[in-house]
Amino acid sequence: MYKWKKLGKIFDPTLVNDREWLNEFAQAPSIIEFNKYIRVYFSCRPKPDHNGQYVSYSSYVDLDKNNFFNIVHIANKPILKLGELGTFDEFGTYPVSVIKDNDNYIVYYGGWTRCESVPFNVAIGRAVSKDSGKTFKKVGSGPILSYSKDEPFILSGPKIRKFNGVYYLFYIAGRQWLLANGKPEPVYKIRVATSNDGLNWNKHNKDLIEDILGDNEAQASPDVIFSNGKYHMFFCYRQATDFRENKNRSYRIGYAYSKDLLNWTRDDKKVGIDVSENGWDSEMLAYPHLFKINKKIYMFYLGNQVGKYGFGVAELDGELK
Amino acid sequence: MKWKKLGKLFNPSEYELFKEYIGYAQSPQVLVFDTFVRIYFSIRKQSENEKFVSYIKYIDVSKDFKEIINMSKHEVIKLGELGCFDEHGIFPINILRHNNKIYAYTSGWARRVSVSVETGIGLAISKDNGYTFQKEGNGPILTSSLNEPYLVVDGFVKVFNNIFHMWYIYGTDWKKTSKLEEPERTYKIGHAISEDGVDWKKDGKQIIQDKINLECQALPSVIKIDNRYHMFFAYRSTFGFRNNTENAYRIGYAYSDDLINWIRDDDNVGIDVSNEGWDAEMISYPHVFKCDENIYMLYNGNSFGKNGFGIAKLEKI
Repeated sequence: MYKWKKLGKIFDPTLVNDREWLNEFAQAPSIIEFNKYIRVYFSCRPKPDHNGQYVSYSSYVDLDKNNFFNIVHIANKPILKLGELGTFDEFGTYPVSVIKDNDNYIVYYGGWTRCESVPFNVAIGRAVSKDSGKTFKKVGSGPILSYSKDEPFILSGPKIRKFNGVYYLFYIAGRQWLLANGKPEPVYKIRVATSNDGLNWNKHNKDLIEDILGDNEAQASPDVIFSNGKYHMFFCYRQATDFRENKNRSYRIGYAYSKDLLNWTRDDKKVGIDVSENGWDSEMLAYPHLFKINKKIYMFYLGNQVGKYGFGVAELDGELK
Repeated sequence: MKWKKLGKLFNPSEYELFKEYIGYAQSPQVLVFDTFVRIYFSIRKQSENEKFVSYIKYIDVSKDFKEIINMSKHEVIKLGELGCFDEHGIFPINILRHNNKIYAYTSGWARRVSVSVETGIGLAISKDNGYTFQKEGNGPILTSSLNEPYLVVDGFVKVFNNIFHMWYIYGTDWKKTSKLEEPERTYKIGHAISEDGVDWKKDGKQIIQDKINLECQALPSVIKIDNRYHMFFAYRSTFGFRNNTENAYRIGYAYSDDLINWIRDDDNVGIDVSNEGWDAEMISYPHVFKCDENIYMLYNGNSFGKNGFGIAKLEKI
């Protein structure tokens, strides 16, 4: 079993008072490394509208590389605009995954639209930055990965990686909308697509991670890192229904490993991190992101209320193998 | 081209069988059998908040198109499950018979909040001669993409030289004339090819030149006659098309010798609105097909086919 040392909560968006679009939530953190700092992208929300509905933006905070608790800079605006009327990302850009590819910074993001019979639908968009990842411009007004025969809705949670010259996009795809006391709740599973140019994707059309909670397990945030000759995936999972109030059905972090990025063995016994007895991450753990800085492996993750009050960090004692 | 109108063929409101529907027999499309022609169409029910749901039905008609010999009483194809692209209707359906298989390319509708709807094209297969269709997956086989951001719909598929060709439409704009108005959409005809009819590669461009300002192009239908490909489609203005007959649907025409380059030639379409009657205000949703040695066009008239569809016969190319 891996040994994680929780270092505590790093960034709380509710403490930032001068940015309307950054009122609460700092979800799905993921980083890009710079010389002196790490840039942590996350997704946040302004106050909900009069119907209680949110839009979500994505932005970043720069943290001192040698002390993540030292906030160097908070972005002045979102990295992406919301989409035009009727487009897939009209109501949200969440979550994001940024890759530095040669000298380009490219973001893959979940774009949210609102539906009538179910609350939302999501497809994956792509945008490019010419200012080192501060702002991104969309390459088109539609998605680059959308619904298909066996992935009928909710393509979200993109995690972009490049291994051996090939782009891998790990993401989630909706399987079914369940009705829980009349309220639709989606089931989604972790999937992968590959590409040679980052634009045209080949879906592999299979679930990568075996369920442990049965068919109604919702899986999210498939974060992949290479270490010691193996690919390691940390993700989160929960029951599809009754997960908001019932902490036993809420998000936990799962683990799987692979030799080839396509076939994965789930092994949650090794994950080594769970909810705390009390405090900010005592009800759920979600949206893990792993990275290596100064020869150490860290995990950023969300706690209670899926990051409404920010994200924290844990440090790995030892190696991933 | 010269088309001879043979008159209205079918009005669902005249039949007890369809009394639970509020009318409409939209976008008639055929599956030709040895002794009759099956014509699929979309019929509407009213749901909550005065919105509509479209269902697929068919009638079987004699090959002289003078007699209706059967009407579907059953569910031809299910609408989509909760949250799926075809949850709120299928309109239209395009049938392809190829290598002893019967394919249906369905246009699925699902309601949105800021705009009325989003669509996608699905695939279903029939194993009972077109009596029912079973979906291949719950999702679409053709949907929005980088430069076709919404409203991919109206798929029409033919196989030429062992390649599946699909003509379809995609949205280019949702526009509002004022804050109070509901947004209106603009769409254009596109083309995709496939080796198996399942996985498609889009050309990614508009293939038919616009003729009018803010033109919407809909429902392409393609037929090969001798060595030339002929496309009939519907077009209208983005705004004011419901009540102003000048802006309403007309049938357009284009031809191609290579399936890549199309020359628009509406002067040659050979069919227009009538002076009076059921197709005097608009003509729309053309479907062109060969039956025995003749070529016919099914089409809708006034009110987008609320009162059924008619047929015309090609007299001169």
